[in-house]
Amino acid sequence: MAADLLVADRLTRTFGDRVAVRDLSLSVATGEIVALLGPNGAGKTTTMRMLAGLILPTAGRIAIDHVDISEATADLARRSVGLLTETPGLWERLTVRFNLLTYARLHGLDRPAEQVDRVLAEVDLADRADDLAGTLSKGLKQRAALARALIHRPPVVLLDEPTSGLDPASARHVRDLILGLRNEGRAVLVSTHNLAEAEELADRIAVIKTQLLAFDAPAALRGRREGITVAIEFDDGSKHSVEVRDLSEVPDLVQRLVHEGKRIVRVVPDRRSLEDVYLSLVGADS
Amino acid sequence: MNRQRISALANKDARELIRNPGAIVPPVLMVFASLVPAFLVTIGAPMIAGETLEESGDFVEESARAINMIPELAALTGEALIQAFLFHQFALLLLMVPVVAATSLATHAVIGEKQAKALEPILATPISTIELLMAKTLTPFVFALALTWSAAALYVAGILAAGEPGVWRAVIGVRTLIMFVILGPLVELATLQVSVLVSSRANDPRSAQQFTSLIILPITAVFIAQLMGGFVVGAPALLLGVAGVLVLNGLLLWLGVQVFQRETILTRWR
Repeated sequence: MAADLLVADRLTRTFGDRVAVRDLSLSVATGEIVALLGPNGAGKTTTMRMLAGLILPTAGRIAIDHVDISEATADLARRSVGLLTETPGLWERLTVRFNLLTYARLHGLDRPAEQVDRVLAEVDLADRADDLAGTLSKGLKQRAALARALIHRPPVVLLDEPTSGLDPASARHVRDLILGLRNEGRAVLVSTHNLAEAEELADRIAVIKTQLLAFDAPAALRGRREGITVAIEFDDGSKHSVEVRDLSEVPDLVQRLVHEGKRIVRVVPDRRSLEDVYLSLVGADS
Repeated sequence: MNRQRISALANKDARELIRNPGAIVPPVLMVFASLVPAFLVTIGAPMIAGETLEESGDFVEESARAINMIPELAALTGEALIQAFLFHQFALLLLMVPVVAATSLATHAVIGEKQAKALEPILATPISTIELLMAKTLTPFVFALALTWSAAALYVAGILAAGEPGVWRAVIGVRTLIMFVILGPLVELATLQVSVLVSSRANDPRSAQQFTSLIILPITAVFIAQLMGGFVVGAPALLLGVAGVLVLNGLLLWLGVQVFQRETILTRWR
């Protein structure tokens, strides 16, 4: 079993009287992508900021690469974590290369210019390196921001809404880059609103709404609902839906209907979508 | 403290400044404009009036008294003495204007990054608060220093071209050197530190700018009092000022680190 590079244990963060995150525990292993799903205001960004060492939890423990993070060691978290913020936040009057070069120096990297060339190639942005950041499209800015998050080769990568507002092609490109991070053995935590994206990218999904509501593999989450709807189609064209507790009840159901003289054309267990599960967890109003 | 991180961020600020003529041209024009009053009063007004300052009787007593505080004036008499006295008095304006010009940059330092959504990625690097504050002060400081020294060079060149013989030499004395090489830069540094500090606490650049504009009030008061009362701040008083501003700079750096709240900046600013 792969080692957990990122561990959050019973994290709580309050702002005055308001509880932003309560008792949240999750972990991300080497070469694993975990998606953080939740409605607006669920505490996703606060969680990301705590894990990146930007703000401290009010209670709970964070360990990054097996080192506990405290006020004294928050600096260590910032060295080991690459954070992609919700908005690219590039210096638009400067070239992409200079943006990255500044961050390479802020991270104290050896041969910063070489590191910039490497990361530009990684995100497929080498041909736009000398363009002003302000002239890039939204998708390219996001790739430049991703390059910035990866410039210091962090073992843990936190991505806050990485494809938000991108066109489908740009989003696809960013998702491919994220999948590449898993292959490199990094621990990746992706915050997203996009359920399909979470399902496509993530090995496990954490659903939060201030507190952790579920943390499991996508398939396991989908199977969480109690009961399955089975759609039965008869030879006269009529359809009927029946709720069963699990699929083992279906043969008996079919047998009973046949015994009653029904002529069945098709029996389809209704595969529950992640969206159904998500909405049932966080509440449909979210 | 890591010098590489400080220089990386300061270098970035300098590049952004160079690529933004809108931020450079007004301060440069302001500094050029600050040279005008001295030459207008000392050279222009007597030419228009058709009589020298000595003939009009203006500043004669004040100039004679100033010899006690500025020994370089002792070599001069008559019109040259009055001119040198006035150029000394107006020199304070040359210190004040670059500070005002650079505070707009310093005021924008932290809050500007926040508005550009660039502060969170910066804070996500290992940069410490003291390194961030020093980096954010460095570029406006170098800019203010360049403006001050350019203005001083132009000032002396103007005196050389338009003043009475020997006046320029009397202007470049110990007092002027203390003002422009030691006290001036230290005052600029203190002012810019206050600006960055305000920038890290204010909610928007305009309110930060308005607050920092209050900083120059004491300098303005000294300048106006000098002209109105005809008193001269001599070298010993300036050296005392140097000691005071040196301590002030240390205190401001400490205070800046204490009041810079990373979490508040990230979570409460919009």
